[in-house]
Amino acid sequence: MTEMRATSAFCTIVPPHLLEQLARHEDPEVHHSARHSLALDAEHRDCRRLAIRSVVVPKPTLQPADSPQRTLYDARHHQGLPGIEVRAEGDRPSTDASVNRAYDGLGATFDFYLKAYGRHSVDGAGLPLHASVHYGEGYDNAFWNGSEMVFGDGDGKTFKDFTIPLEVIGHELTHGVTQYSANLTYDGQSGALNESVSDVFGSLIKQHALRQSAHDADWLIGEGLLETGVHGRALRSMKAPGTAYDDPRLGKDPQPAHMDHYVRTTDDNGGVHLNSGIPNHAFYLLATALGGYAWERAGRIWYDTLTGGKLPAGADFATFAQVTATAAQARYGDGEEKRAVLAAWAGVGVTPASHSSSVPHQSAAPEGAESAPQG
Amino acid sequence: MYIAVTRTGGFAGITRKAELETTGRPDARQLTDLARAALTASRSPAPSGAPDAFHYEITIDGTTINLADSEVSEAGRALIQAVLSQDKS
Ligand SMILES: [Zn+2]
Repeated sequence: MTEMRATSAFCTIVPPHLLEQLARHEDPEVHHSARHSLALDAEHRDCRRLAIRSVVVPKPTLQPADSPQRTLYDARHHQGLPGIEVRAEGDRPSTDASVNRAYDGLGATFDFYLKAYGRHSVDGAGLPLHASVHYGEGYDNAFWNGSEMVFGDGDGKTFKDFTIPLEVIGHELTHGVTQYSANLTYDGQSGALNESVSDVFGSLIKQHALRQSAHDADWLIGEGLLETGVHGRALRSMKAPGTAYDDPRLGKDPQPAHMDHYVRTTDDNGGVHLNSGIPNHAFYLLATALGGYAWERAGRIWYDTLTGGKLPAGADFATFAQVTATAAQARYGDGEEKRAVLAAWAGVGVTPASHSSSVPHQSAAPEGAESAPQG
Repeated sequence: MYIAVTRTGGFAGITRKAELETTGRPDARQLTDLARAALTASRSPAPSGAPDAFHYEITIDGTTINLADSEVSEAGRALIQAVLSQDKS
């Protein structure tokens, strides 16, 4: 058994690591309620972080499998989760295109993290992947609820089905990866970094599937999601933030590409989907400066930053930038990679925090450390 | 009755706002009933919720409530749809 060394008075009765084990249980009666609790628990992030950090998890005795364990559900236009199971791992394709796109997208994402970085699923320990499609009525959204992915069909006027762009699927699953690693707080600059990391790896998952180089990639997020008649190519552009759409109904893409245009707002957790344009563009600058496949060196530096245990949950852009420079140096030495990282941040007006002024406390445990949730 | 709805968040990061005054509308009664039901069913304060989830701010006369998408009631959902569909822009 695992032990809880400390717990918070505000935490749920069942500790999160236990819920996570239950969530992987084969019996649907067991895993459904555990997943539900985890979803509710996602609303209590602070509690969750506290609990995760204070838990001692034994080393898994079995290596996680090199293949995904996917289950697709149909929410049948309701907003209850997960809905009815419609396709399990290894089943033949469904007659429902949304189910098959989501199934394939989960597979491409699993494949990407394993082949590019040796990571087994979102938690690094083979977590089964669950997704619900046809959520709600004309629902213009996709989200990660803390334990599974959820896709709406779109309203059919402005938005198509959210399972269409592979980078949307990759974006949502990467929220899971972040949750199990740096756990960036979804507010303000750390929230914009959480969003940006999902856009970065979402785009890399698509580039990996298409074997595209940094120069061949479109660097768009939500490409193919806008209905015909809407003036726009996508929802966001990492190459040129602020240019993805300009439409009478949607307005103009408001993303900044530089700190000079950082948006101060209380909406959307402090503009997490707006200011993500700044670190998004920094990554684009790095990837195109290095050339080749962006998931190789540029992506590796970002992945090391996210999972290396040196990034505080409340990191701002300057702290994140400093950790990327450290990660570049640690993996590639004092060479072109580190210089390109620093140039990329300079290009978006971010000065990396100096070592002395960086947040020294509460860095997450590195992946693979005994105290990390993924063991 | 004055009713305003603001939806923020979501994968697209696009905010939608709309408002209406029920006086003189043929559906005034329905809207008023929905608004009362939505207020009764609401919990507060709203948690920050899941990544990319929608958030709603609903103002009914002088009262404002904040809701995560996962905690919107049936009445609330119907009210949100009715008000946001006013927004033709
Ligand atoms: Zn997101």
